Amino acid sequence: MHAIRASVALVAAAAAVLTSACAPSATPVTTGGGSAPAAAGEKTVLTLGSWRTEDLAMWEDEILPAFEKSHPNIDVKFAATNTNEYNAAIQSQVDGGTGPDLITCRPYDVNRSWIKKGYFEKLDGKPMLDSFEPLALDPWSDDAGSRYCLPTAAVLAGFYYNKDIFAELGLQVPTTQEEFLAVLKKIKDNGKYTPLAVGSSESWQLAYNGLYSIGPVYWKGEEGRQGLIKGTKKVTDPDFQKAFEAFAAWKPYLPKGFESLKYPDMTQLFTLGKAAILPDGSWNINQVAVDGLNVGVFGPPTDVAGGERYLQEMPDMAIGVSAASKNKAAAEEFLAWTATPEFLELYVNKLPGFFSMAKQPVTYTNALAQSFADLKNGAKLTPRLGLDRLSAGTPPFDDEVWRVLQLMLNEDLSAQKATEELQKGLASWYTPQQ
Amino acid sequence: MNRAHYRYFLAFTLPALAVYVVFAALPLVNSIWYSLYDTDSGVARFVGLENYVYLFTNPTTSERFWNALTNNLEFFAIHLLVEVPLGLLLAALLTSGRLRRSTGLYRTLLFIPTTLSVVIVGFVWRLIINPLWGLVDFPLLGDERTALPTISLMSVWQYVGIPMIFLYAALLAVPNDVLEAARVEGSGAWSTFWRVKFPLIAPQFGLIAILTYIWTFNGFDLVFALNGSAPGPNYSTDILGTLFYRTFFGSSGQLSDLDLGATVASVIFLIILVVTAAYFGLLHRRLRSYEL
Repeated sequence: MHAIRASVALVAAAAAVLTSACAPSATPVTTGGGSAPAAAGEKTVLTLGSWRTEDLAMWEDEILPAFEKSHPNIDVKFAATNTNEYNAAIQSQVDGGTGPDLITCRPYDVNRSWIKKGYFEKLDGKPMLDSFEPLALDPWSDDAGSRYCLPTAAVLAGFYYNKDIFAELGLQVPTTQEEFLAVLKKIKDNGKYTPLAVGSSESWQLAYNGLYSIGPVYWKGEEGRQGLIKGTKKVTDPDFQKAFEAFAAWKPYLPKGFESLKYPDMTQLFTLGKAAILPDGSWNINQVAVDGLNVGVFGPPTDVAGGERYLQEMPDMAIGVSAASKNKAAAEEFLAWTATPEFLELYVNKLPGFFSMAKQPVTYTNALAQSFADLKNGAKLTPRLGLDRLSAGTPPFDDEVWRVLQLMLNEDLSAQKATEELQKGLASWYTPQQ
Repeated sequence: MNRAHYRYFLAFTLPALAVYVVFAALPLVNSIWYSLYDTDSGVARFVGLENYVYLFTNPTTSERFWNALTNNLEFFAIHLLVEVPLGLLLAALLTSGRLRRSTGLYRTLLFIPTTLSVVIVGFVWRLIINPLWGLVDFPLLGDERTALPTISLMSVWQYVGIPMIFLYAALLAVPNDVLEAARVEGSGAWSTFWRVKFPLIAPQFGLIAILTYIWTFNGFDLVFALNGSAPGPNYSTDILGTLFYRTFFGSSGQLSDLDLGATVASVIFLIILVVTAAYFGLLHRRLRSYEL
């Protein structure tokens, strides 16, 4: 009535364990699949586990039929679980000896723990790996560098801007931090529009679309990120502090009452034409352009004119073959297909905002997606700072970054104090930083 | 009662008992069982109370736990001090006889929010107090000092119908001849209420207070609907339910930890059990119920 019992969730989890333990293998070799009972005896049925319930129609109607056309002996079923419950569901299923044949892989630490538990087949030496750069494969590898999942898609982060407002105020797209701040100041001085559509109520996006997007130029992308992971760099180093200072410089340009504005409020502020710039992820492409707004996109500013450009490319998902699968050969066949341009082009164009991680360039039919993809050219790519290894303990680095960024905007916590707090939290459990 | 009666008694109770055992009692025991194991390595290893020791000694987890507990106490206190007295006031007004024919209308109107989904309540209130589109300039939900009281009052608004209807039913059961006698003795409305009516419904009032305690300490949905599983700003709206959810299922930046989640759930269970048992053992028995 008033509330859920915490134990209700446990009931669900316990029930999942019970049923998965009692149920026969969840990977039936021959089932009818509903439509064609005559051919049922021939087909190998695979299940593909995923956390994206919203993609069901796309997989069932577009992608899987394309695969089954060229592979008539394999029938793939898309089996999605709610995003928030996906990790726990997969864990209880696979631990119980069942689960899907193909597991969608979370990046970094979650997947690393799954690799450790032996959930996946090793992919080392398989030709399908050749379609990807090491940076794209690393999020799904173990400490020894063995590969377990094949990358499907990544998301990017940048700045959407309202072209009409820029034209009205006579503004140029900024390329350096100095120009960026000058543009913000001009919009503010004009007074008609909010310069930055940013609210701090949802702290995740302060990190993912804010600091992790504008910061790599200061901590030099992979150099700084790997340095933190290896323990050769500290969050309190000047490179990182400068990044936090660049983030703090946003504060004067936020809308009123930003402390309680949520992510949808930000998008709305921008799409209503009341704000000029929206720092956001590529996944929001459809929403920002929904009102026929004249939208462009630019990448994070460089430190100095002509300096190196950096762009956040966040590996979002990959697919691996379950070690418990009874149809590994068929599952590998499907996996190899996901590395082909046929699949990638189908996938990224059905889901604008998601980008292929393969070496071979892919054409995007969505103009905004194409200009987002163009930002990758000549830029150094780097994933989100806090998600690899640094968040596999308590306190998780990533969660702490969210928290201190929110405090920087809401309570004027200084960049120095923020980085000191982060370093202290990290050093409390992360051995390379001790 | 003869043998046949016992057989009927069993036939009618067993199905309900079975459902209760399978879906409530067993999982509860199971979750306590979980909390004594470590399954992170893939193999379940019995660790005794290690998970509890970790929860209370690790600087981060213990800070989050005490923070959530303190917030939960505040969440409960606001419900106890606002929702329950307000429910009593509304119930008293509804039974005062001053409203005449519109009693039914008010009763229904006041109870309607209780039947709404928390997602709708959260969404509507968030829009009303949104500094951009709403009525209030101040970021009530964005400020650490006001966020939790704001959410608590939203919850009070939604659920005030429950203590109201509960106490309303209790007040209706007060016999008219007792009230008549009070009036004949020259007692006014105020003293009739506090000296005659309230003592008669005190056991129900106590019950609704302890139920409020149970509900608020199991609270989760409104906070989750408004602020997600890491409720900010700066965990100022984190309560035990969201702490449990975040620990058990993980959040974007946090791995899910089934054993520690079960530990948190067991601690919540214990907190509720101890206070509820103490209430019924010490207090509720002393509230006299009158035979009328």
